[in-house]
Amino acid sequence: MGKFITRRLAHAVLVIVAATFLIYLGLFAIGDPFASSGEKTVPPEIQEALREKFGMDQPFFVQYLTYLQNMFTFDFGVDFEQRRDVADMLANAVPATARLALFAIAIEIIIGLTAGIIAAVSQYTFRDVLITVITTLGIGIPVFVVGIGLRAGLSGEWIFPAVPRSFTIEVPWYQEVILPAITLAIIDAAFIARLMRGSMLEVMRADYVRTARAKGLSERKVIGKHALRNSIIPVVTYTGVSLGVLLGGALITETIFEYQGVGYLLVRAISQQNAPVIVPIVVFAVLTFVALSTLVDILYAYLDPRIRLH
Amino acid sequence: MTTPPQSGHEPDTQVPAQALITQFEAPEPLVEETTEAPAIKGGRRRTGQIRDIWKRFRRNKLAVVGLAVVGFLMVIAILQPFISPYDPMEQNLLNTRKPPSGNHFFGTDILGRDMFSGILYGVKLAMIVGWSVMVLSLIVGVALGAIAGFRGKAVDSIIMRVTDIVLAFPSLIGAILVVQIFGNGIWQVIIALVLLSWPTAARLMRGSTLSLRESEYVEAARSIGASDTRIVTRHVLPNAIAPTLIYSFSHIGVAIVAMASLAFLGIGVPADIPEWGTMIADAVPSLNVEGESHMWIFPSLAIVVTTLAFAFVADGLRDSIDPKLR
Repeated sequence: MGKFITRRLAHAVLVIVAATFLIYLGLFAIGDPFASSGEKTVPPEIQEALREKFGMDQPFFVQYLTYLQNMFTFDFGVDFEQRRDVADMLANAVPATARLALFAIAIEIIIGLTAGIIAAVSQYTFRDVLITVITTLGIGIPVFVVGIGLRAGLSGEWIFPAVPRSFTIEVPWYQEVILPAITLAIIDAAFIARLMRGSMLEVMRADYVRTARAKGLSERKVIGKHALRNSIIPVVTYTGVSLGVLLGGALITETIFEYQGVGYLLVRAISQQNAPVIVPIVVFAVLTFVALSTLVDILYAYLDPRIRLH
Repeated sequence: MTTPPQSGHEPDTQVPAQALITQFEAPEPLVEETTEAPAIKGGRRRTGQIRDIWKRFRRNKLAVVGLAVVGFLMVIAILQPFISPYDPMEQNLLNTRKPPSGNHFFGTDILGRDMFSGILYGVKLAMIVGWSVMVLSLIVGVALGAIAGFRGKAVDSIIMRVTDIVLAFPSLIGAILVVQIFGNGIWQVIIALVLLSWPTAARLMRGSTLSLRESEYVEAARSIGASDTRIVTRHVLPNAIAPTLIYSFSHIGVAIVAMASLAFLGIGVPADIPEWGTMIADAVPSLNVEGESHMWIFPSLAIVVTTLAFAFVADGLRDSIDPKLR
C-alpha cells in the first residue's frame, strides 16, 4: 500500500509540473500584454519599463521558475488592469465558490439519492419511468440553458435576488447562492439518481437482502439499513470526482448569475487578457482536479487490494 | 447451419445502471435472430453484424426518434443556404428584438438579424463542429491508443503520460486555454475540443487493445507469420474499436455544448457569427423583458433538441453495438 501511494503521488507531482509548464507556455503564446494593440499605443520606452517591472525581460525558464516559486508562497502579483493584489482578489472569490460548490453538492446528493431510491424501490412503475425521463433530460440539457431559464423565470421573484445586481441592495449570501447552486447541481443530481438506481437494484438482488426479508424485517428496515448502505459506495466516489467537473460548471453558472466567485473572476480576466489573474485560477483548478483524482485512486486501492498490483 | 459466437445475445439479466426507458418496453425474445446470421467469412458476415446492430437499435424507440432528428438536422445543415429565408448576418437596426411574426418566424435579435435564419446557420455550425470533433478525435485516439496498447513499454508510457497531463485540465478550462493560444475561430474551437477529447478515446482504445493482444487468435495470427501491421489493422482494430467508437459518438453532443458554452462566455467563436451560445449571450440583457423572451428560448430549444437527439442515439448505439458495455 505504501509503495502504491508513493508511486501515485510521484505521478501526480509529474502531472502537475507538466501542466503548470503548459499553462505558462500558453501564457507566452498569448503574447505581450504591453504591446500596442488597436487603439492602445504604448511608447517603446514605457513598454521596456513595464516589462522590466514585471520581470518579463528575463529568459523564459527564469520566468517559469520564478512563477513556480511565487505560486508556492501565494504571491500571485498584481493584476494588469488596476494593480490590485491577485491574492486578495482570490481570497474574496474562493470562499464564495466554495460555498456554491458545497451547496450544489448538498442539493445533488439529497435530490439524486432520493430520486434514485424511489426509482429503484418502485422499479418499472410510473414513478420509475417519470424519474428516468427527468434524469435523461437533466443530463441532456446544457448547464447554461438551465441557468438562463432559471434566471429568466425566477431571479427577482420571491427570495431570489434580481440579476444584474444593484449596488444599493444588500443580499445575504444564502439567498444569492440558491439559484446558481441549483443550476450547478442539476446534471450531477440526475447522474447520481441513475447511479443510485442501478446500484440499488443490484444490491436488492443480493442474498443478504433476501435473508433480511426472510427473517421478517420490515421493508423499511430492509431498504434503509441493508440495501441503502451497500449501494451508496459508487455515489460517494462519483461525488468525489465530480467536484473537479463542478469547477468547470461554476464558470458558466457564476457568469450567468453574476456571482462573485472564482469562475466569474476567470471569465472577466480572460476578456481583459488579465494574465496574472488567469494563471493562478487555472493552476488552482488543475491542482484541485489532480489532488481529487489521486485521492480517489488511493481510496480505491485501499478498498480493493487488486488495484495496488497494477 | 452453425451459429456464430455473438457476445451480445445472452439475455441480459442485469439491469443497467444508466437505464433508459428502453427497459420498460416488453423484452422481446432475443433468440430468433441468432439463427439467421450465417457464419460466413468476409463481407457477408459484416453485413450480418450491421443488420444485427440495427435490429437491436430499432427496438429502442427513443434512439430511433433521436436518429430521425439527427438526420433531419443533417439535412437542414446541408440545405441551410437554400432554405434560409434571410441572410443570417444581415443586420437591420430599425427592426431589432421584434417578437416572432409572419416575416420573422423566430423574431429578430439585438442587431435586427432574422433569428430563424440564424438558428438554421447554427444547425450547420453545430453539425460541422460536432462531427469534425468526433472524427478527428476518433482518428487520433484510435491510432495512438492502438500503438500504445500494442507496442507497450516506453511508447505506451509516453502516450499515457501525455493523456494524464491533458486530462488534468477540467475540460472547459482546458478548451479556454487552447483557444486563447490559437485565437478565435471555428477551426480553432474544433482543434481545442479535439485536443481535449482524444486522450479518453486513446485510453479506451489502449485498454481493449491490451486485452486483445494476448488473445489466442492474435497469437494464432502471429504464429502463421502475420506482420504487426496486419495483426493490428485486420485483427485487433475491428474487434477493439467498439468502446472507442461509442465514446466518440456520445462526444458529439458534448462537443456541441462545449462550443456553445465557449460562445456563451464570449470565447473562441467570433461574436458576429450566429451561433446558439452567442445568441443566448446576446439575449442576456433581455432576459426579464416582456416580449423579448424569443431571443433566448429559440436558441435554447435548438441546443436542447440537438443534444438530446445525439444522446439518445448514443445510448441506443451503446446498447446495440455491445450490450455488455451497457
